[in-house]
Amino acid sequence: MAGDRPARFSYRGRSVRADPGETVLGAIARRGVPVVARSNRYRRPRGPFCGVGQCTGCLVRVNGVPGTRACRHVPLEGDRVEDERGWPSARFDLLGAIDLLFPGGFDSLRGLRRPAFLTPVYQWGVRRLLGVGALPEAAPPARPPVTVIAPKVVVVGGGRSGRAVAQALRTEGLRPLVLERALGPLALEGADGRPATSATFLPRPAGGRFTMLGFTEPDRGVALRTRAVVIATGSYDAGLLFGGNDRPGVLTAEGALSLVGPGRRPPFRRAVVVGGGGRVRDVLDRCGDAVAAVVAPSEIRPEVVRRASELDVPLYPRSLVLRAAGRSGVRRLYLRTRRRGPTFSLACDAVVLAHRRLPHTQLFFQAGARLDWSDARGAYFPVVDDAGATTVPGLYAIGSVAGDAAPGVRPEDLAHALAARRPVGPPRTAASGPVAEIVGYYRELLGERRRGRWMACPCEDVLLREIEEAVAAGYRGVEVTKRYTGLGTGLCQGRYCVPDALLVLSLLEGRPPPAVGYITQRPPVHPMPLASLAELDGALPSEAEA
Amino acid sequence: MTLPRSSYRAVVVGGGIIGLYTAYDLARAGAGPILVLERGFLSSGASGRNGGGVRQQWETRGTIRLARESVEAYRRFGRDFGYNLWFRQSGYLFLAESEVELARLRTVHDVVTAEGLPARLLDAGGVAELVPGLAPGAAIGGSYLASDGVLYPFPAVWGVYEAARSLGVDVALGVEALGLRVEGTRVTGLVTSEGAVATTTVVNAAGGWSGEFSRRAGLEVPNVATRHEILATESLKPFLDPMVVRASDGLYFSQTMRGEIVGGRTVGHAPGVGPGVPSSPGFLTGMARALTGLLPRLGSVRVLRAWSGYYDDTPDGFPVIGEDPRLPGFVHANGFGGHGFMLAPAAGRRVARAVLGEPTELDPAVFGPGRFLVARRDAPAERLGLG
Repeated sequence: MAGDRPARFSYRGRSVRADPGETVLGAIARRGVPVVARSNRYRRPRGPFCGVGQCTGCLVRVNGVPGTRACRHVPLEGDRVEDERGWPSARFDLLGAIDLLFPGGFDSLRGLRRPAFLTPVYQWGVRRLLGVGALPEAAPPARPPVTVIAPKVVVVGGGRSGRAVAQALRTEGLRPLVLERALGPLALEGADGRPATSATFLPRPAGGRFTMLGFTEPDRGVALRTRAVVIATGSYDAGLLFGGNDRPGVLTAEGALSLVGPGRRPPFRRAVVVGGGGRVRDVLDRCGDAVAAVVAPSEIRPEVVRRASELDVPLYPRSLVLRAAGRSGVRRLYLRTRRRGPTFSLACDAVVLAHRRLPHTQLFFQAGARLDWSDARGAYFPVVDDAGATTVPGLYAIGSVAGDAAPGVRPEDLAHALAARRPVGPPRTAASGPVAEIVGYYRELLGERRRGRWMACPCEDVLLREIEEAVAAGYRGVEVTKRYTGLGTGLCQGRYCVPDALLVLSLLEGRPPPAVGYITQRPPVHPMPLASLAELDGALPSEAEA
Repeated sequence: MTLPRSSYRAVVVGGGIIGLYTAYDLARAGAGPILVLERGFLSSGASGRNGGGVRQQWETRGTIRLARESVEAYRRFGRDFGYNLWFRQSGYLFLAESEVELARLRTVHDVVTAEGLPARLLDAGGVAELVPGLAPGAAIGGSYLASDGVLYPFPAVWGVYEAARSLGVDVALGVEALGLRVEGTRVTGLVTSEGAVATTTVVNAAGGWSGEFSRRAGLEVPNVATRHEILATESLKPFLDPMVVRASDGLYFSQTMRGEIVGGRTVGHAPGVGPGVPSSPGFLTGMARALTGLLPRLGSVRVLRAWSGYYDDTPDGFPVIGEDPRLPGFVHANGFGGHGFMLAPAAGRRVARAVLGEPTELDPAVFGPGRFLVARRDAPAERLGLG
């Protein structure tokens, strides 16, 4: 079993020790934010960003298997960890010169067409540039086929809400199966737990059972058939658009906190934290002595002000983040006080994004549940009744993913309605309030002069400018923009680019975000190895039987 | 939105690659005002959902000629339309698992080479050379043509769309064709979700919805929509050049410019064709098993996403191009069976000629809509309806 005892793995010609349960990333990020990967088009240095196994910042090759996330892989003794891209390494990559040679970016839509006889040469070069990892050296070992698990209820997410609803379901006499994607053991009394498991919906016939494909890290598939699913997937820290927003050292709050632990110092000394709410407080509480400043898009909440003054951390409310400067790390952050105030800069070695949290709503889109746009939160939320029932019978939501209406759905109400198979009631009314601050922030930011690369989609190196060009060429809506620019087609499935691109498109197109749309959430929500899917073949009933 | 004009020379139903090429060629011929109706967004149908394969290996001469002309057009696309399709001519490889399939590929090979294309028959060793990592015994031979290839479908849609618009074509997005207006036996107009327009010609280029649209116009047609699904993996360094197609069931896969393995297969009939096109449980697992059976080393490569779309199939495997003899003014440009993208440039030209009453140079017994109205023995068929 991985993670019970310390393990040594090889990386860049040296032997690295991982503590029990520690991931590869944890082990290589002790002294600073490492450059682990190189970006897709411009070969820009990339480091860990999201901390929750979704972005492309820490892809490495482990024992010949490409595309492994260093932040999700708990190494075994003797594991061979290699950089996927970069020559000679991801840290010093000679092809990194591409980023400097093409300051205006590539035009993959119209460029490299002429002279026509050079087409094979362009294609040879571009293919080699874009491919990430080499084909695995060998086939994974064959394993016995997986059977279908058919629990009465599946709870997706083992955080606070997921655990509370599992307890409440047990009181109702139901024994739920809890899936928890975050690594680590999942001890639950009266419930079954599958740690390190993500799941994705497959369409179901009207009135039939839900079919879900689960995937347990590092490589195990599981098929689930159930009549009821409770989604408690919670929320995550969003990205932000500014120059150099893809630099190593720019991290979400989750990304930063995932690298801090008991007896473990953060991989930065002078971070600028962006945000003014509770999430900033979390960062200050856990690594306050490594925070150089707090910069907020708008106001800073009093409890954050209090905590910051205790720690002697200066505050810069109402600021636009313009650019993170540096090369393979962040050295300085350029800012401007809002409403055409003065520009200024702060020396730093990391930028921690703690300004906004977004719900993990992918599964609702996939299950066909109705989602409504919330102006107050600047995001889509599922439509639920007082017991958390969505518009799809048998599908429930609880916790921060269930929306912004207060008070939240109570676990016992949900469990009772689910056990009694109560019909879906009238929808709760969403909280009304002023339009989310981020909208006004982006309206002002788009008028700023830009320096550095503004990465609208860090997975695929799509620039903000390319989105503006698509709009200028007459293309409308996020679905078409995705196809025109490649935005949202990367490994994170749009989690770190679409929410902000949606707001930007709404401003550029002059219509509200729901009119701009949302990208279809295609299965699987989390990338799953072909072998794990193949193992499940035949385990699922065909559509006719279902 | 309201439609820019109340009367058009022709209205094309369907803003996919076939409809756009048709409108572009009509405008180039100076046909007069042209309207294209697209009920979704640009590339929302099969033109934005296909695997990008473009091949010239077919069972019949008629299809081969359309395909050759289209390959030439796609080679010139960057010059003519200003967009880079990344059309990579690195071949199409058909795999035979049995002697029966190999014999069939041999027949195809003879027709293709008789048309002057340098297709090659390969033995198991030749196939293995083209597909690194192919499981031993996965194929006993195959047929290969190096000038076939793969392209990115999206820029083709943008390029033809912009070119048609710059020639004055109106493209109405998010507007649905609801029904025809007929006076006597002639088409006189079309009712849309944004009101009625007068026109003497309606082109049915609605892809998977074309059968439904013809039937709504009172025409019995044999078109059937079939659901087809595709998956894409994470990106790998280039190792695979050709598009690979298994002859037994049409399962195909290729590696894109970005490095993803994109592969698909047909899942089954889809009687109620709606705008939502979900992936099925069986596809992901079945396709994964088939792919890892062919290329075991792909086992630990992750699937990023899967999607589906509709083929518009005809009983004989040929598309339907030309005016319907039962309803003058109603022109078919459908039934491409999943091959609309690879035949679009040549097909669009023929459809435009049919609209203008010019000769299409297509055998009506093979491509014409009237062919289904007469019972025939020994009618030709294009059964290489794969990949």
